Amino acid sequence: MRVPFFKMFMTSPFEGLQEHAKKVMECAWAFQQAMECYFANKCKTFEEFRQEVTRIESQADAIKRRIRGHIPKRTMMPISNFLVFRYLREQDQVLDAMEDSLDWISYRGESRIPQELEKDFALLVDAVIDPIEQLIELVVEARLYFKKFSEKQRVIVKNIIHTLRRQEHEADNYEDIIKKKVFNIGADAVTIFHLVRLAETIGSIADHAQNAGDMMRAMLAK
Amino acid sequence: MPQEYYVLIIGYVFGFYMAWNIGANDVANSMASAVGAKAITIRQAVFVAGILNIVGAAFIGSHVTNTIRKGIVSTEVLTDPHLALIGALSALLAAALWVSFATWKSLPVSTTHSIVGAMIGFGIMAGGFSVINWTKLAAVVMSWVISPVFSIVIAFLMFKLIVLTILSKKDSFAGALKLSPFFIGMAIFIVILSFLFKTPLGKKLSIGTPVAIVVAMVLALIFGFAGKCLLKRLIKNKKSNGAEEIFRRIQIGTSCYVALAQGANDVANAIGPLAVIYFLVKTGGVGATVPVPVFLLMFGGIGIACGIGMAGHRVMETIGTKITTLTNTRGFSVDFAAATTVLVASKMGLPVSTTHAAVGGVLGVGLARGLEAVNFGIIYKIMLYWVLTVPTAAVTSMVIFKILQFLL
Repeated sequence: MRVPFFKMFMTSPFEGLQEHAKKVMECAWAFQQAMECYFANKCKTFEEFRQEVTRIESQADAIKRRIRGHIPKRTMMPISNFLVFRYLREQDQVLDAMEDSLDWISYRGESRIPQELEKDFALLVDAVIDPIEQLIELVVEARLYFKKFSEKQRVIVKNIIHTLRRQEHEADNYEDIIKKKVFNIGADAVTIFHLVRLAETIGSIADHAQNAGDMMRAMLAK
Repeated sequence: MPQEYYVLIIGYVFGFYMAWNIGANDVANSMASAVGAKAITIRQAVFVAGILNIVGAAFIGSHVTNTIRKGIVSTEVLTDPHLALIGALSALLAAALWVSFATWKSLPVSTTHSIVGAMIGFGIMAGGFSVINWTKLAAVVMSWVISPVFSIVIAFLMFKLIVLTILSKKDSFAGALKLSPFFIGMAIFIVILSFLFKTPLGKKLSIGTPVAIVVAMVLALIFGFAGKCLLKRLIKNKKSNGAEEIFRRIQIGTSCYVALAQGANDVANAIGPLAVIYFLVKTGGVGATVPVPVFLLMFGGIGIACGIGMAGHRVMETIGTKITTLTNTRGFSVDFAAATTVLVASKMGLPVSTTHAAVGGVLGVGLARGLEAVNFGIIYKIMLYWVLTVPTAAVTSMVIFKILQFLL
């Protein structure tokens, strides 16, 4: 790679962010499968999907490290590298939250979600998957904005961020419903603790997706 | 005298080596942005740059060259033909070695400053410090600061202007088309003035500054509007990237001009000292200027083209590694800034290098937030090499001079 002049140019961190967002999406599918399996009776593939999520998470980690390790101190970018790192961190925590949820389930062996809450949990899982699907679009559209600097493009990115906020709010609502119901189903204390913590961990997936959106909003600031 | 013919053969080898180095180190300056923005393929770029460099060298290149580039060393040192012969050889080799080293380190340096530095080394060895024209040397030092800074400012403003008037608009394609006569016109204006003032062929026409400006303006207007009509016909599908598409066409033009001008101006860096050797061997003496036969210019042009060909493969590898490069609007801003800087600075009598101006242009666009990622840290290294160019080439030239003096 020895070309004078070209040495000034380097791989764009946006390339990595996009790749990382793709991994988050892949992971979301595996997470959804695992959760559906968990809801279903006699599902044997939960562990398989959990391993899949762990595997994708470690791949995404490698991408994250690669991005962090390849932005030298004096890199000139349209945004500060501080914001890139913050964004990446939030996007990565989406993955971590998915992994944590599945791990949390696996700690309690054969436990199952009480019938009364099954539907609510299914709704919560669907509600946290939606914002994840927005993330990749967010990165792609934001990258386009930094290429064109058009107001139209800026509005597109801002709209995605609004959607993320709205979706996070919906996920929050489902989380609240579960927490309220949990205390009225007459379960034992350990089950209640397990379910509340599970709902919170799943809910945090959407929180981190929204935080990523907020970081992107900061990047768009003129 | 057979020994002198050996020297001439060695001179040819060194001259070719220097020309090859010029091609290898500078190829990216003219074509990098166009290739990076996928305006042309790398194969086309290598081919076009090679041909244009040969054409520029042979037909626009100076048929009479100053024996000492940029008059930085007094011609007194050439009075002893034997010393002059050794001096020209050592200067040529020293400059070529330095450029080779920089290319190996993949840092762009000025080939003109390399040969100037090497000449200084030879001058000091042959005539002592008194033969150096210190004011001219100070101008070289000044150019290290002035040309990049000037280029940064122009590239920054140009890119901001494009963002404000075209990219940020709702229909950027229509905006770009509407304003295309202005941007094409500006590019043509600079190109014509550069051609008239900077290239040896243009200088031969010896048109005065006011007349030249009028001529350039008229041509800029004509070409600007003709270009718009042509663009309208060429680009029918208004895709989202319409604005870039328009600048793509303009950029191909500016890149070609840079390649042509490079051939015309830089060929003397390799062929100047070779012409001195050629004349010393043929006639036994040499003055302040020597006529350069066309075959020598052609020889230099081919040498540059060979260097470009070799470097082309590396460019291909680099492009394949997903680095961010310039889009056409960015590339145009860089090209425009570099060309304008070289034009204005050389009108001011500063020996500027296209390399410095092009690097400055990239920085300017980067500062305007136009690039996804540029390594600013590398700039310090590049600048260090600019400063090192003259003294290193000078010292190397001194050492080679001593060795050759001992041998010949």
